[in-house]
Amino acid sequence: MKKKDNNPRSDMFYAEPRGSEYEKVMKEKTIPDKYKWCKWVLIATMIVLSIRLWHLQIMQGNEMRQQSEMNRIRIKKVLAPRGIMFDKIGKVLADTRPSFNLYITPEDIKDFNETVDGLSNLMGINREDVIDRLKAASGFPSSFPVKIKDDISMDELAKAEVNRVYLPGVSIQIEPKRNYPYGKMMAHTLGYVSEISNEELKHKEYKTYSPGDYIGKYGLEKMYETYLRGIDGEKRVEVDAMGREVRTLDMKDPIPGNNMYLNINLDVQMVVEKALEGKRGGCIVVEPKTGAVVALVSRPAFDPNKFASGITKEDWKAIATDKAHPLQNRVIQGRYPPGSTFKILTSLKALEDGLINNNTSFSCGGGFPFGNRVFKCWKKGGHGSVSVHRGIVESCDVFFYNVGLKLGVDKIHSFGTAVGLGKHTGIDLPNEVRGLLPSSEWKKKTYGVPWYEGETVSVAIGQGAVWLTPIQLVQLSSFVANEGVAFKPHIVNKIIGSDGKALKTFEPVVAADIKMKKEVFKIVKEGMQGVVNEPRGTAYGSRIQNVHMSGKTGTAQSTPDKGRDLGDHAWFIAFAPSEDPAVAISVLIEYGGHGSSEAAPVAKAISESLFTVKPEIKEAMVRGQSR
Amino acid sequence: MVKVDKRKLYHLDWYLIINGFALFAIGIMNLVSATSSFYSGSFNFIIKQLIAFSVGIVLIGIIINFDYRTIANNAKLFYFISLGAIVFVLVWGMAAGGARRWISIFGISFQPSEFIKPVMVVLLASILYEKKRDKILLGLKDVSIPFLWVVVPFVLIVLQPDLGTGVIIFLVFLAMIWFIGMKKSTYSVLLSLGITLPLIAWQYVLRPYQKQRIYTFLNIDSDPLGVGYHTKQAIIAVGSGKFFGKGYLQGTQHKLQFIPEHHTDFIYTVFAEEWGFFGSIIFFLLFITFIKRCMKISQQAYDELGSMIAFGLASIIFLQFAINILMNIHLAPVVGIPLPFISYGGSSLISVLISVGLLLNINMRRYMF
Repeated sequence: MKKKDNNPRSDMFYAEPRGSEYEKVMKEKTIPDKYKWCKWVLIATMIVLSIRLWHLQIMQGNEMRQQSEMNRIRIKKVLAPRGIMFDKIGKVLADTRPSFNLYITPEDIKDFNETVDGLSNLMGINREDVIDRLKAASGFPSSFPVKIKDDISMDELAKAEVNRVYLPGVSIQIEPKRNYPYGKMMAHTLGYVSEISNEELKHKEYKTYSPGDYIGKYGLEKMYETYLRGIDGEKRVEVDAMGREVRTLDMKDPIPGNNMYLNINLDVQMVVEKALEGKRGGCIVVEPKTGAVVALVSRPAFDPNKFASGITKEDWKAIATDKAHPLQNRVIQGRYPPGSTFKILTSLKALEDGLINNNTSFSCGGGFPFGNRVFKCWKKGGHGSVSVHRGIVESCDVFFYNVGLKLGVDKIHSFGTAVGLGKHTGIDLPNEVRGLLPSSEWKKKTYGVPWYEGETVSVAIGQGAVWLTPIQLVQLSSFVANEGVAFKPHIVNKIIGSDGKALKTFEPVVAADIKMKKEVFKIVKEGMQGVVNEPRGTAYGSRIQNVHMSGKTGTAQSTPDKGRDLGDHAWFIAFAPSEDPAVAISVLIEYGGHGSSEAAPVAKAISESLFTVKPEIKEAMVRGQSR
Repeated sequence: MVKVDKRKLYHLDWYLIINGFALFAIGIMNLVSATSSFYSGSFNFIIKQLIAFSVGIVLIGIIINFDYRTIANNAKLFYFISLGAIVFVLVWGMAAGGARRWISIFGISFQPSEFIKPVMVVLLASILYEKKRDKILLGLKDVSIPFLWVVVPFVLIVLQPDLGTGVIIFLVFLAMIWFIGMKKSTYSVLLSLGITLPLIAWQYVLRPYQKQRIYTFLNIDSDPLGVGYHTKQAIIAVGSGKFFGKGYLQGTQHKLQFIPEHHTDFIYTVFAEEWGFFGSIIFFLLFITFIKRCMKISQQAYDELGSMIAFGLASIIFLQFAINILMNIHLAPVVGIPLPFISYGGSSLISVLISVGLLLNINMRRYMF
């Protein structure tokens, strides 16, 4: 390029530089003429634009200003319905229903006090609550509707509609609301949704939520929030000066959440719910061969519908301060001494290690002197000479005191841990607790003092520093039923996308797999069958016609509460049918008393419902398993 | 880079630069308001617009280094590059809003039809330069050859369909042949074509939605939900500004997303709503003075080539300004034409800055011998 600059004549435009006098004259004559035209065009344009603007902005200005204030377009969120939860065969456990929700759009408020006071007088809503809610949404545009009250009644709806003219900014929207048709039933499994809190909104992980949105806070609703929550749609609506929707201009449809099929069998669930009616405790029923959770009940329960429709402060206070702790899922969060059910674990390990065999017997005289105290057997007169079979069937404590001493706490600990006790089972519910399975190392670490053998004596029969959850004991029961294998308990069977295709199917996951002698399981299983089916068995009262159930009772001493003895916890773990176990059961009745009289009948009811009373359910179960 | 003669730098037209920068600054300020209602906020828009501005400034720096005559010598090269890009867009370009106008390279999309505007001006000037120099009034034949150069990109752009840009380059062609001067016979032929061609276009070229816009223009209430509704809202936005406007960031029409493309083609409505009649008049005057300055550069150019290029570029800016505003205030049907310096859109801004570069180039070489 530079070269060309130096030699301009090589270029056509440099060939004949301008400058002759004639050309200059010519240019001045013709071109300025055109420029003059241009000038006039510019002036004309300016005049046209100014006149039009004067017309629009000055002459029609007031009218236009009024129109701009009168008509507005809003982008409104269209809530996506949450995914539906079904039981295994498709009965609805949680769905959505339409509800009327009351909103305030700050932009439309003419006089703040008039609207807020008017509303609080009319609907009996606390003025501070309204202001709090408006404050929480202060980071959003003023055209963002702020939810004030959820799920208003027909009466309130009528009041609000009639008084709309006096309450500018107030609007009512029909939106999907979570609905739990069975109320308290399965409350702890399904969980509940509730309005997202201001604290949660500040977290990054909730950045896709806005104030007033519902979020899973408990149970499956929390665990599977990302699946159950749909994608909200949007619609552009024209609203009038009152904020009323005049018409919808266009709409982006919401995408509903994914549906979930649970392993829960509603029929079994209902039987368990009924059996635990009025009691405190928990029960879980699983398929030992897959880990599928067939039923899960914790009592007392709460009504998740209360949360879903915006729980009132009073209701929340009542639930949160209830001494019976209805919000606790006792199956996964209740820690109890397992009592005699633990003897199954002790037997398994002792038999496996050859410390005892089928013929080993200890003499029970009703007590076991150790150190400077005597550990009592529950049967004052004693059992006499007891073998392992009778030890299990009649739940002789002295037999297991002896076995426990032979084993030592650390073997119990390591074996129990391998089976799945004292740790998370990994069930798909949030906030499972670990419980505690002690070891000498644990004691040293925690208390700085060595383990005493006397403590092993207690641990061997499931007392002392052993704290387990009902779900951990169902794992123990499954482990025996499967003869050395246990699967991770799982509630959700599959997740179905809104297009009807399976998004995720949960295959059984092995949680424990321990190679052990066949003989060991034979002895223990015979013992557990004896518990229910032999006249001297502790759960003989809960035997069932036609079907054999195997089990183990437990009557665990509770720690006195402020010096007051509240009674024993009643336990029963079982599997049935004994020959080919289809279900494993764990029942706990808090402060219920005897396992044999309080807990075992629950398992009996379950097994009866499954295997004798309703044969079609049994069929369904078998079909379910083969799937 | 080639070193610029210090003398030439001294002759940079600072008036044009300051006037142009004032428009751009108003544009950015206005864009903040226009995009504040978007879900994603203004930030991304402003950043992209500032990046485009920086690219444009770099291009100005490059353009003023080369003599505009050298650039004009290579006009056909630029023309074919631009044309190639337009063809590419037409064939492979990504579909956006039913129109294929954008090419996306490494995630940066640009609109080649924007760039052909200044290229077309330089090319026409270089073709017609000799006629102008020799004071030959253009006959039909003289007009038809440059017309062929125009008609190819015109058809391609209209096919995209980007009627707005097509209209601009066609009008610029007319402006430039008018600037050179035509024989009376040529005028009369063009006039008769000017009457018949629109009828043919109406019958065979215009798409239904384009026709709809013209119907709507004539009767705003014929389409109360679509274009007519939006036009009405645009008028309400402008009118509601009254004398002093609602105040910066206080506009409600665009914030509530009444007006489509209120950050691109309809951006003036945002300004008018917030700054009113008073602000608008100042705003228009800034455009008028800018265009007048361009005309002055044309008038003072060293040779006819510079004079023609400057005139052509001034025409583009003027036509875009006038048509855009007219359509914003419902004095012209809706066609997609951005407002220079103001509308959001990197390609449009860069194209305008290329024009500014060429104008500065012509101006700083006006005393060269």
